[in-house]
Amino acid sequence: MDPSQLEGLPEEDKQKMLSMIENMQTKDSLRMYNSLVEKCFKDCVDSFRRKNLDSNEERCVTKCCEKFLKHSARVSVRFAELNAGAEALMQQQQKR
Amino acid sequence: KDRRPSSETERTEEATMNAGANANMSPAEKAKAFDMAQHEMEYRVDLFNRMTSSCFAKCMDTRYKEGDLNVGENSCVDRCAAKYWQVTGIVGQMLGGMQQQQQAPR
Repeated sequence: MDPSQLEGLPEEDKQKMLSMIENMQTKDSLRMYNSLVEKCFKDCVDSFRRKNLDSNEERCVTKCCEKFLKHSARVSVRFAELNAGAEALMQQQQKR
Repeated sequence: KDRRPSSETERTEEATMNAGANANMSPAEKAKAFDMAQHEMEYRVDLFNRMTSSCFAKCMDTRYKEGDLNVGENSCVDRCAAKYWQVTGIVGQMLGGMQQQQQAPR
């Protein structure tokens, strides 16, 4: 995070914002962890003849995680671009 | 630890700061601005998460033969994100219009 974004604020407000952001990041990381587990479980695990995962299932889960994280990174880039585009548009409109 | 999905909170944070939280507001105004900033941030994080999840469901081969995205999947994700964004815009407009109608004096 770029701390200069909070420069204009008094210290107390800055701390409050930083704390809120950190809180949200923690919450979101945990949420993502759980939802990824659920997704990979649903997609990869179908049989319950044994108690332990077999090597196929393990491989599937590993690739599921890799794929999701790479996908998420890509969406993150596109999201930032779309956001930036929308903000630029808004600023243009405000200048008129 | 991979923090990339959480980076949206950071980007939203920037946007919210630029939206004008400044030091000269009354405590009540500041509290309200803070709440709005929080809602805005939560909204964006939720938007990002839903976009990610929807596009994953629509674009990815769930047989998970590879850990990497192939070219087709990459393109699909890019277009999916763009379309999702457009849908967000349209729905936003529709909801805004509906609210205006509900509030209009009769």
